[in-house]
Amino acid sequence: MASPGQSVISAVGLSKSYGSTRAVDDLTFEVRPGVVTGFLGPNGSGKSTTMRMVMGLDHPDAGTATIGGRRFGDLRWPLREVGALLEAKAIHPGRSAYNHLLAMAQTNSIPKARVDEVLTMVGLDGVARRKAGKFSLGMSQRLGIASTLLGDPGVLLFDEPINGLDPEGILWVRNLLKSLAGEGRTVFVSSHLMSEMALTATDLVVIGRGRLIADTTVEDFISSNTVATVLVRSPETDRLASCLGAAGASVRTREDGALLVTGLDAPGIGDVALAQGVALHELSPVQASLEEVFMELTSDAVDYHGQTAPENHPVHPDPQDPQDPQDLRGRGAPAPPPVEEVA
Amino acid sequence: MTTTLSVPVLPALDQGRAGLANQVRSEWTKLRSVRSTWICLVIVFVAGVGLSALVSNIEAGQWSHLGLADRASFDPVRFSQTGSFLSQFVVGVLGALVVTSEYATGSIRTTLAITSKRTTVLAAKLLVIGAVILVVAEVTAFASFFVGQAVLLAHGAKALPPGSSILTQIRSATIPYVSLADGGALRAVFLSGVYLFLLALLACAIGFVLRHTAGAIAAFVGVLLVLPLIVSVLPSSVSQSFEKYLPSNLGLAMTLVTTRKTDFAGVLFTPWTAMALLALYAVVAMVLASWLLVRRDA
Repeated sequence: MASPGQSVISAVGLSKSYGSTRAVDDLTFEVRPGVVTGFLGPNGSGKSTTMRMVMGLDHPDAGTATIGGRRFGDLRWPLREVGALLEAKAIHPGRSAYNHLLAMAQTNSIPKARVDEVLTMVGLDGVARRKAGKFSLGMSQRLGIASTLLGDPGVLLFDEPINGLDPEGILWVRNLLKSLAGEGRTVFVSSHLMSEMALTATDLVVIGRGRLIADTTVEDFISSNTVATVLVRSPETDRLASCLGAAGASVRTREDGALLVTGLDAPGIGDVALAQGVALHELSPVQASLEEVFMELTSDAVDYHGQTAPENHPVHPDPQDPQDPQDLRGRGAPAPPPVEEVA
Repeated sequence: MTTTLSVPVLPALDQGRAGLANQVRSEWTKLRSVRSTWICLVIVFVAGVGLSALVSNIEAGQWSHLGLADRASFDPVRFSQTGSFLSQFVVGVLGALVVTSEYATGSIRTTLAITSKRTTVLAAKLLVIGAVILVVAEVTAFASFFVGQAVLLAHGAKALPPGSSILTQIRSATIPYVSLADGGALRAVFLSGVYLFLLALLACAIGFVLRHTAGAIAAFVGVLLVLPLIVSVLPSSVSQSFEKYLPSNLGLAMTLVTTRKTDFAGVLFTPWTAMALLALYAVVAMVLASWLLVRRDA
């Protein structure tokens, strides 16, 4: 395993087109060991293509992807060096889970006993002899995760590993990813759910339309991209708005009469109101959710908008919106509903 | 479901690298762990032995009504190998499925993402399906041969004198049967198994080229069944020079013991030349498959 700080997965100028579609466009990023790195982007943004190129499945048009400094084709025992879960349902439906894993283990001289070990680890030991075609998506995900752990590899790639899992399974995957990273492994996990990555990842690689949007830590990503907003209610809305504007804040008026203020924090707004003798009925800071930051950043980079998607997402959160997922960082709150197509 | 978070340690391997022997073990596990493999192999054996008994029985019953020309082409070996008309398609389906079932489920990407050389995967698949088909096809060919001769014996067949020619067969009043020691019989039975072996390799290679079950099977059946029909509608001056090159006629040439002259394909190649040609077809398909597998995105 590589020492911490050293980059393990590395992409340099990676590009890939399918016909006239640029799936991945001059992508450069590094993934370091010891932390979970989230690979974030809307559906169709090139995450899976990038992962396939790292795993030597797709040939890049330009650039290179390396694992521990070597291209995939130069690895001597690939399954012992990198475990990847790219498609959970990519299993022969008539083959048992045990035989599926056994066939994989044999390619890398991994002993039979190891198959039982990883099946037990993911909780599939009771159904090991059953046909994989009868498995639910969640069970298939568990089987896929088991296959990545067969070779006890130092590098792990997961493409949308929580798809199809129940809440208990999601929690298990979150903890597993962190635990794997905690053991010093390099863990690279893709998702289109910002909120999920906020709970799991430390580092972030964000892409949209195949291009790099950000290569940073989750913390920096939020602080450098959120604008602090304060919700203000007052009986003298118009006068307060003009005073705040004069004090350098930018103010929007919501339909229900409340003001959304940026550029001035809550104490500052309170001071202005006091100085002008304006009564305040509400003064509450609103934190933009990660989901919104992510959408704002990738809105230009989304290929397929849902029918209901507005042309431009507001960067300022709307606290009245019941759908609005608040900052989920550090909270054990259930993940918000999946944001398909960034609708 | 109970789960844990600690990954048990796997002792590292510092020596060597994932190679052909590893991949062959894996491909054997994959082949033996799906039911379709065993169904196909049982069909090959049962069809081989069953059709041998059936056809030998019918032909023996016809002997007394046959004219001289028909008696001359009475071929106890070929009757016993009738099952290969059916088995060739079963073997083709199995050979193609070994590859295309992985493309259908997407598991080919799992296979290729755990081995560093794609050609190792191709070689291992060909070796495993080839070895399995060769064993089953040879066992079937010889079992069919002995069953066929036993049926002829039951009809009162007599062995031809050693070194006897076709003429002796024509003059013979009784149904002839042959033993493996008779001219060409051992070779014909052996090559009957080799024919299925080469077809399995061909189908497997087609599977890698087309990556689609229906497409690969259609192409395989097309080569064996449809191509001869197309060639047969060409003017006979043209078709005569092509027909002996068709895989199905190469197979026939490999297993004939009486005459190489046919009314539909002119004079066929000698058995060993026919085998070499069919092997060449398979090699060309395998080289194309290997080239495409390495070049294409998985």
